[in-house]
This record gives sequence, structure tokens and C-alpha cells, in this order.
Amino acid sequence: METRLANSFRLTVNEKKFIETALQSDLRIDGRRPFDFRNISIKFSREEGSAEVQLGQTHVMAFVTAQLTQPYKDRPNEGTLSMFTEFSPMADPSFEPGRPSEAAVELGRVIDRGLRESRAVDTESLCVLSGKSVWAVRVDLHILDNGGNLVDAANIAALAALLTFRRPECSLGGEDGQQVIVHPPEVREPLPLIIHHLPIAVTFAFFSNESTVVVDPTHYEEAVMGGRMTATLNANNDICAIQKAGGEGVLQSVIMQCLRIAGQKAYDITTKIKNAVESYNTERALRKIKRHPSAVALDISGAGVNIGKNQNKPLKGDSERSNLTSEKSVTDQSMDIEGEAKSSEQQQTNKIDGVSKNFIGGPSSWNDNAK
Amino acid sequence: MEIDRLDGRKANQLRPLACSRNILNRAHGSASWTQGDTKVLVAVYGPKAGTKKNENPEKACIEVIWKPKSGQIGKSEREYEMIVKRTLQSICILNINPNTTTSVIVQVINDDGALLPCAINAACAALVDAGIPLKHLAVAICCCLADSGYIILDPTKLEEQSMKAYAYLVFPNSILSVRPEGSLKVQGEPMEHGVITSGTQGAMSVDDYLNCLERGRAATAKMSTVLRRNLQPQIASDLSKAG
Repeated sequence: METRLANSFRLTVNEKKFIETALQSDLRIDGRRPFDFRNISIKFSREEGSAEVQLGQTHVMAFVTAQLTQPYKDRPNEGTLSMFTEFSPMADPSFEPGRPSEAAVELGRVIDRGLRESRAVDTESLCVLSGKSVWAVRVDLHILDNGGNLVDAANIAALAALLTFRRPECSLGGEDGQQVIVHPPEVREPLPLIIHHLPIAVTFAFFSNESTVVVDPTHYEEAVMGGRMTATLNANNDICAIQKAGGEGVLQSVIMQCLRIAGQKAYDITTKIKNAVESYNTERALRKIKRHPSAVALDISGAGVNIGKNQNKPLKGDSERSNLTSEKSVTDQSMDIEGEAKSSEQQQTNKIDGVSKNFIGGPSSWNDNAK
Repeated sequence: MEIDRLDGRKANQLRPLACSRNILNRAHGSASWTQGDTKVLVAVYGPKAGTKKNENPEKACIEVIWKPKSGQIGKSEREYEMIVKRTLQSICILNINPNTTTSVIVQVINDDGALLPCAINAACAALVDAGIPLKHLAVAICCCLADSGYIILDPTKLEEQSMKAYAYLVFPNSILSVRPEGSLKVQGEPMEHGVITSGTQGAMSVDDYLNCLERGRAATAKMSTVLRRNLQPQIASDLSKAG
């Protein structure tokens, strides 16, 4: 339908000229320098194997699941890793539902190549019974908001999700040792995937005047650029993949400079991902220890049972109380949340993400002080 | 006799609700709605020119795209799309922008029971965030019927699967009127007593169903105050969204 084309992203000539002229003086329209990445925030949810990454205005979610299947005939000892990319229509008005567009397929392939060919994920450890039963790991990437540079953001999300994914442990049993028994997570602790290194994708955008290069283009810069290149490297400065599909011709020296810069960025991003995963893992371990929420509530806050009585408190009252509890240590509060989130007897609370956690801890400790 | 629920809630207790608006940058309106562990994110793209082939060009058209968390899109996703579309059509004012299409994209982030009511609530909040003209808001709730005949509200996935039957219901939100005459009455009954959408799964008797309606209505009264408070205009930091 022609009407759909009218919704694709079009910049006016004035806006294009403005962006290009600014770049000639090394100025980008969001105030960054040419080789600065935007802010990366990595969040995990309570479920394992799901990560949400925000790279500036770009928003991507990744979910990892695994299933037992038959292996490929030519690789009977290896598990499989497959990527499914969804360019959701919510990310951009020009994304259509249905068949994946060229850009979606390219993104999936670039990330897949970075992980598969470089042997980042160890597929041999996914084999359960050679030739019969292996784990097939599936990564679903949902693009929620297109603020530019989807490849890098999706790559980080996929890596973060794979690092925090746990697959159930299974063993061979049965009469002839040929039957695969999958142990549920309550019986045996699920295992992490073996990941040897983290291939990080760094995207460069080339503009038509005098070899101007920028890292991490926004969607405005993507609409103006003449060509792009994605280099996938890991922290050891090994190049896992390079993708430059057409576009402007670029000098060799510029490409070499880009690869050097990509090496530095890959190192920075790897540290960020590792830190985020580590803090998630510690939080997860702490959560596992506190398995009896009522006991936690009584020990720490001393008045966990009283939460149920404060059912219909007005919102203002809650915010006042949460301010008073700021002296309590933050870790205590976070433990309270995880343990009490399920057994909380509050009927309904109007929460704002993140701030809401203080509300649960709030009333109980206020009652403590009142006594 | 009280029913023991796995997470310690009482029979008519809802899970903690959280609603946040204006989460996405490109979408004209966006909202996320969380009920316990179930979380849904909805984005709305405002009126685009043209309607699809079989739609009436004299009215505005609403297009719903349902994206599951993982897996192929199948028949159940199409059914959800149809239900959300018909529900939203009854709350939007369709005569204002004829021959246009408003797209509502629903993304399931986590499904722990009461998925469709959660999605409808989120879609309603997203439409408000996008500024699409609505007649009134809608609040949705899911009621489960246990074997003993008790009705429990807002079930988790385990409860949904183990119960005899469940029903999801969408009620219109009451209109707060400035005039002293109060709420709108439709043929003598207050508007809140209407039902926009109702779907059931499993077998239940007529009395049980009417019981569900009563309980659901009482609960949605509280939910609608939460919704209204959350939809109060926030101090807008960036105003223009289009393009």
C-alpha cells in the first residue's frame, strides 16, 4: 500500500545539511564526539535468560530458551544455537509485521556469525546423547525502539541473555543408559552455558564528505549516512566478523583506524556486560538463600506481618514513609522486596518502576518506629 | 472458608499493579502494565492515512498486532488480536478521524496468568498516552472459578491451569463528571454496570458467571481509581513525538 510508504522516515534537506555540516566540525547532533558510544544500560528480569538493553534511545530485549532436539546429521556431537530477530512494528513506524525485512535478516545474520563462527558459545557441551539428543538454544531478539544502531544493541542483549541463561541439568538413565532424564530446577541446580569469549559488534557510519566516520549512529545519522561498517571483535582484539555491505567506498587507512577504535570499544563494553552480569548473579544467589519470605520479614523489618494491615493507605502517606526509611541499608530493602513480593498482602499499589520497591519496605519500618 | 492460594493472597486480592507510560521514544504512545509477574508493553502509532481493504472508510480503523514472547505467531495470537481490537473499537471515538488507521502493537514480556486483561489495560493506557480520543477508559480483570465454587481474582498461570474455569471481563471505567448530576446513565443503569468484553474458558454455571461479574465489577472499581490516578497528566519534558 502506498500509504504505508508515506510513513517511512524521511529527513528534510535542511536537517540533512545541518547534520552533515555539524559533522565537518566534529559535532554530532546529540552532543557526542565522533567516537563516543551512547549510554548503555543492561537490565535483567527475574527469569533467567532474559535481558533488556538500552543504548541511548534504542531499546532491545533478548530471551533465551533451550529445548532438547535431534542434532544435525553432519554434526552429531554438537548442540545448535539459532537466532530469531523480530523487528517489531512498535520500534519504528516503517517496520511492517510479517516477513522480516532485509535489515532484519542482515542483523540476525551478523549477530549469528559473530557468535557461531568465532565459537563463542561452546556447542559441544550442549550434547547429551551423541547422535540422538542435543540442546537447541534459541535466542529471540525483540527490537522495541529504533533509536539507531540496532546491531550493537541487539548483540549486547543477546550476549547478556546468554550469559545469564541456565539450562536444566540432565543425565542419562533408563535400562540401557539411553534415556535422557531432565531434572527440574528444584531438584538440581541448572547449569550456565559455556561461553569462551564475548564478540562485541561496533558499528561505524561513513558520510560522503572527506572520510567522516562516527561510531554508534543515531537514527538521524543513519538516514544521512553514505555507508556503514560493523566490526565484531572480542576483548582480546580478535576480529570475529566484519560486515560492510555496499555503500560508500572508504580508504584502507580509515578502515584500519576504525578497527583500532573498535578494539577499545569492545573492551569497554565487555567490562560493562561482565559487571552487569556479575551483579545480577550475586543478587540471584542472595535471593536463593532467602527462601522463606515470612522469616525474612520478621527478622529484618520486624513487622512484616503488619504490611497486610496497611492495605488502603493513600499514596502520599506511602511516599512520606519511604523517605523516612532511607537510613535503612539498601541491601536489606532489596532482600525484603524479593522475599516479600510474593507474600505481600498489599491489595494494590500504584507503583512507578523502581520507586515502587521502597513502598513495600516503607510501611513496615514506619510501624517499627511508631512503637 | 478461605481458599489457600500459592502466593498467600486472599480470594479477592489482586497482585501488585504497576503502570508506566511514555517508555518508548519513537512510538507516539506507549505504556507498560504489570500485574505481579505478568508484564505487557504496548505501543501506539497515531492515525495514519488510509484503511485496510475490508474496513469501513467512514470510520477510523484500529489495527492490533500481538507479539508473543517467543515462538511462532499462530491462531491464538490472531484471536487475541481480534479481541483487543474489538474492545478498543468500542472505547475509541471512531467518527473523529475517518479513513485512518491507528496501530496498537502489543508485546508480551512475561506471561504469568491474566495475560489478556493485562494487555487490554496496557493498551488503554497507551492510547491515552498517544492522545487518541476515547469515550471512556476500560479496565479488565480475570476471575477464576475453583472446584469448590469459590471465585478468585487475578490468577497466576498455575492457578489458571488448575482451575475449573476462568473468565476475563472488561468493564467501562466510570466517567467522573464535573456536573453535579454525576455519572452517565444508560437506560437507567449506571454505566459501570455495562460489560464491554467477556470471554470464558471452561464450563461454569450461569450463577457462577453472574457471581464472577459481581466480583469483577467490585475489583475493577478499585483498579479504575488506580488507573485514573496514574493517567493524571505528568509534567511533559518532551512534547513532540511524531517523526
